[in-house]
Amino acid sequence: MGREATDAGKCAVGALTVVMLAGVAFGAGVERKDLHFKVGKHPMISINNKYGPVRVKAGAPHQVSVTAILHSDKVELDQGTRGSRVDLVSHLLAGSDETSGTVEYELTVPPDASLTLHSGNGAVHVEKLHGDVMMEGDNGPVEIVECGDGHIHVRTLDGKVSLTNVHNGHIEISSMGGDIELNSVDGPFVKVNSNSGKIQYNGDFSDSGIYDFSSYTGNIEALAPSYASIDVLARSTNGPVQSDFSLEPKHTPFAMKVGSAFAGTLGKAASSVNLFSFSGKIHLKKRQN
Amino acid sequence: MNCGEFEQVLPDYLEGSQNPDQQAHLKTCSACSDLLADLNLISSQAVLLRESDEPSTRVWNLLESQLRREGLIHAPTLPRPSWHESLQRWRAAWVIPAAAAMIIAAGIKLYHPTRAGDSSTVARQSAPAPPTPKISAEDTAILNTVAARPPAQRASYRADLDRANAYIRDAEQSVRSDPSDMYNQQLLINAYEQKQMLYDLAVDRSGGEQ
Repeated sequence: MGREATDAGKCAVGALTVVMLAGVAFGAGVERKDLHFKVGKHPMISINNKYGPVRVKAGAPHQVSVTAILHSDKVELDQGTRGSRVDLVSHLLAGSDETSGTVEYELTVPPDASLTLHSGNGAVHVEKLHGDVMMEGDNGPVEIVECGDGHIHVRTLDGKVSLTNVHNGHIEISSMGGDIELNSVDGPFVKVNSNSGKIQYNGDFSDSGIYDFSSYTGNIEALAPSYASIDVLARSTNGPVQSDFSLEPKHTPFAMKVGSAFAGTLGKAASSVNLFSFSGKIHLKKRQN
Repeated sequence: MNCGEFEQVLPDYLEGSQNPDQQAHLKTCSACSDLLADLNLISSQAVLLRESDEPSTRVWNLLESQLRREGLIHAPTLPRPSWHESLQRWRAAWVIPAAAAMIIAAGIKLYHPTRAGDSSTVARQSAPAPPTPKISAEDTAILNTVAARPPAQRASYRADLDRANAYIRDAEQSVRSDPSDMYNQQLLINAYEQKQMLYDLAVDRSGGEQ
């Protein structure tokens, strides 16, 4: 009995501590805002957030819910709606910096929403959307999961980009230094342009699409199953290239230099796969399962 | 003065450094005078672009035809968006003229048409690229745009700019060594797209502050 009372007391003290810490944090200028918008079909959501993470996931149709945590009074949340368009801007005030200007966003939007996102250094996570996703960022990691059927354009300086289970998309990714990972990604057009970041693809190159991966110094590694149906062309101007597949030879418009280029077809050659690098290593790997 | 010599001084000529020999050559050579007229037209259109949000189709067509004539790009063999569609997709009001100017500059720099009896062409193509200044005026302008950002971000931006410039230099060198290789041309286009992205991102983020 006495022990139970002690445990209960400890819990109460713990809970109180949490509440007090939260109070201190919010007392220091942290502010939470909850916003709700009613929207029509195919709404357009626009977010401009210089500092802080953004998470967007699909929710109920016709409803946009936003939770924004502003880390100080040096940043304001500007919002605007026009028809089915919702604009959210983290408005930095004079004297703001990376810490005081931070805003954390969490949104649920209709699955058919299109998203335009300008982000600085915060992590971005987008999940289960079937509209267009246009994203630009500096250094924060970008995760796009279970999206598709629309355009997905990502441009980042040095943030890591990861796409998982993205199907039937028109995908364009540009990155300077960030690595790019595509897992189970397909569509009629998949283009990746990297400078020094590594490009990794693990999928089956389906959808009779064009898969165009290129880099300056970054390595390119593509993992495909033995049943893949591809017409592949790989070349690195100054780096090594390697294929685990026995490809049917094909004509190429340039002289093939052993070890720095290969070309050929596999299966019915339904998809076109172009792997180009200036000095990165290119490896077309065979997936075992 | 012959055509080869005129091409060597063409960039200087466009910047206003002209002499009687060059004028005399232009009067007698329709190829060089046509080329000069084209470049002047493109340059004048590029300047006008600063006043508008979107360049006219005519300008893009001129740029494209100019680059095609120079052998820097060829008709695409794959069903994909054209290069100017890609460029237009991520436009900003003043980035487009800057990008256009870069492409024109690259075109002028790489323009080495082969004429009958012009034995100096091969030697010119295999010559090393002229040294590139460490930082161009355009890059300085962009770095000024991001000057208000935290030091780490500025340094990162500068490093990215250097990487994009290195990519452009190497891709240009590849195009020079084999002007007919369309894959080298594609690498060059990709390199310019990266630099354009840097310009776009600098502009967009600065516009969101304060």
